[in-house]
Amino acid sequence: MSVRDADSESGLADIAALAEHLRLVTVEVTDAGALLGSGVLWPAGRVVTNAHVVRRPEVSLRLADGRSVRARVVARDTDVDLALLDIPEIGVPAATLAEPETVRVGSFVAAVGHPLGVRGALSTGIVCAIGPIGRNGRSWIQADLHLAPGNSGGPLADAAGRIVGVNSRAAGSLALAVPVSVVARFVQEARG
Amino acid sequence: MNGLQGLSNDLAAAVERAGRAVFSVAGRARLGSTGVHWRPGLVVTADHTVHVDEEVTITGPDGRALTARVAGRDPTIDVAVLKVDAPGVPVAEVADSSAVRVGHIVLALGAGPRASWGVVSSLGEGRMLHLDLTLYPGFSGGPLVDAQGRVVGINTSGASRHWQLAIPAAAVNRVVDELQRRGRIPRAYLGVSTQPVRLPELVRQRLNLDQQTAVIVVEVQSGSPAAAAGVTIGDVIVSLGTTRITDPTDLKSALRPDRVGESLTASVLRGGEPKDLQVTVGERPRRG
Repeated sequence: MSVRDADSESGLADIAALAEHLRLVTVEVTDAGALLGSGVLWPAGRVVTNAHVVRRPEVSLRLADGRSVRARVVARDTDVDLALLDIPEIGVPAATLAEPETVRVGSFVAAVGHPLGVRGALSTGIVCAIGPIGRNGRSWIQADLHLAPGNSGGPLADAAGRIVGVNSRAAGSLALAVPVSVVARFVQEARG
Repeated sequence: MNGLQGLSNDLAAAVERAGRAVFSVAGRARLGSTGVHWRPGLVVTADHTVHVDEEVTITGPDGRALTARVAGRDPTIDVAVLKVDAPGVPVAEVADSSAVRVGHIVLALGAGPRASWGVVSSLGEGRMLHLDLTLYPGFSGGPLVDAQGRVVGINTSGASRHWQLAIPAAAVNRVVDELQRRGRIPRAYLGVSTQPVRLPELVRQRLNLDQQTAVIVVEVQSGSPAAAAGVTIGDVIVSLGTTRITDPTDLKSALRPDRVGESLTASVLRGGEPKDLQVTVGERPRRG
């Protein structure tokens, strides 16, 4: 197939570069040394993770460069499974967000997180569907991609490394991510 | 744009292109399945997902619900063909499945469209494609699509618990050709019941057989093609035509609908001695 044949070298380099880029904007959320999940360095010096990852007002974050910082939970919404954390100035560029609704069914996506404590693990796949699971409920980005405990709160990114969602949970072998548009609205409203 | 973004765009475009010819099929009580507009007015799906015998509701990519009729089935390869009047729904672009190689990137589509991806992991016995990808609930009967959005097969999770399989487009074409030629899909049969049997090492060596197993005839229906050919209980069928028969499934998949009326050589062992019998594949009488 020409797509793979023509691009196999550059394609593989792209995936390695993509993984490296995403690791820099992914943090480990911990409490008293225990791994709770992952988080994304969001623009304007904030961190976004899942509500189910942070159940206390304060947690620790381990950055990709090994530094640890304290973070304060400033907003938490269990309906959308999102939490916004305040962190001190760390001097690390934040993630780039994708324009809402730019991923399509079939688009390549990558997730980085700390599944089962494995630091900065990459998984790749494609968007399987965008919409609710079953007839009702909220819209998810459903990705044909493997997630495990520890991925929660980490980034789901497109082929250019732009954030398209925040990984929330697995449904069977599907990964469910909160779409970036929902995350952006949550962050906007949390700021007031 | 980097190579990965190009691949991503190609995959999304392939889903969009192939998805235009994809139906959701409500052929069983709980979980629906997927179908492909294969030729004008003919939708192909997985036979094991169609529990009804006559009318079935299918929903097009535009959301329109249509009534389709079961026009024929070939359970030997898990294909059912539905007849429907579906103006405005494009027909899938079907590719030459013999060009599919191990390692090719493929997409599986479910109605919606939904999609998963992976590679062809092996070209299996019985002409099936083995896939390294996830067939999500409802994906059975949907198209296996190459990176250009062309249909190379029909996915089925029904044939095996251990493998994700696709029926190659060429095999589907054969079934659809039969349907269009005869107006129905005949069911080929010999009229025997068989069980797997291990071939003794001495017999294998003496007759230069490289297969470990074959099937033993435990019943011959009277008046059947097998009876007419002189097959008797206790015969061990080693091959039929050019197909090695190592278990009853091999025999079943050798009896394709387009084989009806064909004369094949059945190589059997009778009392440990090889014997060739000419058998004319018959059409199983229809029930009711």
